[in-house]
Amino acid sequence: MKAPRPYNLIAELTYRCPLRCVYCSNPLAYREVRDELDASDWLRVFRAAAELGALHVGLTGGEPTLRADLEEIVRGATRYDLYAHLVTAGTTLSAEGLEALRAAGLRSVQLSIQDSKPDASDRIAGSASFERKLAFARFVKAQALHLSLNVVLHRHNLERVGELIELARALDADRLELANAQYYGWAHVNRAGLLPTRAQVDDAASVVRAARERFARPEILFVLPDFHRARPKPCMGGWGRQNLLVRPDGVALPCHAAAEIPGLEFWSVADRSLRACWEDAPGMNAFRGEAWMREPCRSCADRARDFGGCRCQALLLAGDAAATDPACPLSPHHALVRDARAAAEDAAVTSPPPSGLAYRGDRIG
Amino acid sequence: MSDPAAAFEARLRAILEERYHHRHPFNRRMHAGALTRDEIRAWVKSRYYYQTRIPIKDSAIVEKSSDAGFRRSWSERIHDHRGRRPGEGGLARWLDLAEAVGLDRAEVASLRDISPGVRRACDAYVAFVESHDLLESVASSLTELAAAEIMKVRIAAFETHYPWVDARGLRYFRDRTVQARRDAEQGMRFVLRHARGAADRERCAAALERKCEILWSLLDAVEALQRRPRLSKHAQPRFDDAGGESLVVLSERAVRVNPSGREILELCDGGRTAFELAAELRRRHPDAADVETTAYAFLDAMERLGVVEGRP
Repeated sequence: MKAPRPYNLIAELTYRCPLRCVYCSNPLAYREVRDELDASDWLRVFRAAAELGALHVGLTGGEPTLRADLEEIVRGATRYDLYAHLVTAGTTLSAEGLEALRAAGLRSVQLSIQDSKPDASDRIAGSASFERKLAFARFVKAQALHLSLNVVLHRHNLERVGELIELARALDADRLELANAQYYGWAHVNRAGLLPTRAQVDDAASVVRAARERFARPEILFVLPDFHRARPKPCMGGWGRQNLLVRPDGVALPCHAAAEIPGLEFWSVADRSLRACWEDAPGMNAFRGEAWMREPCRSCADRARDFGGCRCQALLLAGDAAATDPACPLSPHHALVRDARAAAEDAAVTSPPPSGLAYRGDRIG
Repeated sequence: MSDPAAAFEARLRAILEERYHHRHPFNRRMHAGALTRDEIRAWVKSRYYYQTRIPIKDSAIVEKSSDAGFRRSWSERIHDHRGRRPGEGGLARWLDLAEAVGLDRAEVASLRDISPGVRRACDAYVAFVESHDLLESVASSLTELAAAEIMKVRIAAFETHYPWVDARGLRYFRDRTVQARRDAEQGMRFVLRHARGAADRERCAAALERKCEILWSLLDAVEALQRRPRLSKHAQPRFDDAGGESLVVLSERAVRVNPSGREILELCDGGRTAFELAAELRRRHPDAADVETTAYAFLDAMERLGVVEGRP
C-alpha cells in the first residue's frame, strides 16, 4: 500500500536523562541504544522528513538538552520549515541556553512536571527537580515561547489534578496535558503500583470539566487511561500513518515501543534514506492499513477509528502484536485488563508514592 | 418600608441601577464621546437585529393574555416599532440612524451579516419570553424604566461628541424617550397588580435580572467586533503546502483551512478590526450569503484553536 504522509517527526536525540521516572516510555534496554546520529545526520533526517510532508519535529529523548549540538539541530529543523518543539524535563538548560534555542528557531516547549507537590514530584522523578522545573517554565514564558506542561497521571497524583491546573495557571502555561500513564516500558513494570481506581479517574475528569468551563486558559487536555476506556485508543493515530519516530541510533519506528515487538524488521537512517525507512521497511508496513487485522477487529465498525488499538499493548498483554488490543472490551483477552482494574480498586492509594517502584535504570527481575 | 408593593418596586429599580447596560463599558464610552466611527457603525448595525426582535417578543406577550384591554394596549408597542404606515415606526427610524452614521440602509435591513454573538444575545430575549409566563415576560420588559433616561443621555452625547452623525438620525432616540416612559408605567402597573406573593416577586426580579444580562451580553458581542485579529505568534502559516492544502501549524497540531478560511486569515493583520475585516469580505463578495456572519464564526473558532488572537 502507498505510505501516508508523516505529519509529525519524533526525533529522539538521546536516551540519556538525569531523571529516572518510574513510567519512562524509553525502552527498558535504553542503554544499548547509543547516540549514533550527529547533527549533520539529523539535518539529513529533517530535510527528508520535510520532503515526505512532515510539519512538526518533536525534539525529545531522554533529555534532548543534554546534546551539546542542540542549537545546531534546532537551526536545521527551522531551515527545513519544521515547527520545532522541544520536549524536556527542564532541569538541564539555562535561561541563556533556552534563549539561544529560540534564536535558532525553536517555537514551543513541553515541560514535564511529575506532581504539584514537590516531594511527590521528586519521588516519581527519582531526583530533586521540582523547583528547577518551575524556574524553567518561567524561562520559557520570558522567551514568549508556547508552553505546554505535561503531567503523567497515576494513582498517586490523580487527586491533585485541581492543584495541577492551578499550578499551570500560575505559570501562565498555554496548554496543560494531563495524560494518564500508558503502560509500556517502565510503566508496565510498575503497573500494579500506578494504575488508578475508577473513582480517581472519574473525579479527575469532573475537575477538568469544571476548570474548562471556568477558565479560557490554559487549554487542558485530559487523556484517559487505556484500562478505563470503553474503546481502545487510536494509538499514534494509526501504525505508520501520521507519526514517524527516529531513535538516537537512527532506527525509524512508528512509535516509542515498536522495536520491542519481536520479528519486525525496521531500518535505520544510517543505512538507508528516511523515505525508504518510512515507506518500505517491513516492520513499518506490518500493521499499516487493515489487511493484518483478525476478528473481532476485521469486521468491527470502529476499525477505521481506533485501528485495532495499540500493537505494543497487544504484545505486552496478549503475547501477540497482531491481536486486538486487550484494552478493547471486545478482545478475547480483555479479562486481563478487567483483573488489573479490579486489583487497582483493592490496593491502597498513597502520597507520596510508596517505595518499591522500579526506577528507570534499575535492574529489573 | 412596610408596604410590600413599594418595597418591590424599589427592588426592581435597584436591579436596574446596578445591572442595566448604562453601566456597560461600551455605553460609557459612547456617552463620553470615546467611540470611533467604526464602533458606532458596528453598534448601529448589530443593534438593528435587536430592534427587529422587539415586536416579535411583544407579539408573543400579547398572545399570552386573554384580556382584551391588555392585548389592545400592549399591541401599541408592536405598531410603535413596525409603524402604522410605510416609512413610519421605530424600525424605520433606526434605519434612518443607520444611514446617518454612514451605513447602507438596505444592507442593514437585510440582517444578513449579523455576528453570531449578537444574534445569540438577541435570540435569547425572544426565547426567554417564549419560555416564560406573562408575568415574567412583562417583568423582563421593565428595562424600559431606565430607557428614557439613557435616551436623553445618548441624544446629548451624539449632539456633543459625534457631530458627523446627521441630527435627523437621532429621531429614534427622541421618540423613545416618550414611548419608553409610557411603556414602563404600563409594565410596572401590571407587575405590581399581578405579582401577588413573595414567589411571584422573586420570579419578576429574576426575569428583570436576566433581561439586564441579555442587554449586557449584546454589548459584549458588539465590543468583540472591535478586536483586531492577528495570527498567533505561535502559529506558522503554510498557505501553499506541498500537498496543495492551506495549513496553519501550531504547537503539536495543525489546522487545515479551505480557500475562504485562508482569505480570512490573510486579512488577520492585527490592524483592521473584525468588523472592518467582515466589511472587506462583503465588498469582495457582494452576492454571497452570510459572508460576514460566517467570518465572525470562523474567527471565533480560530481563536478557540489558538490560530488567531486579538482580544485586548
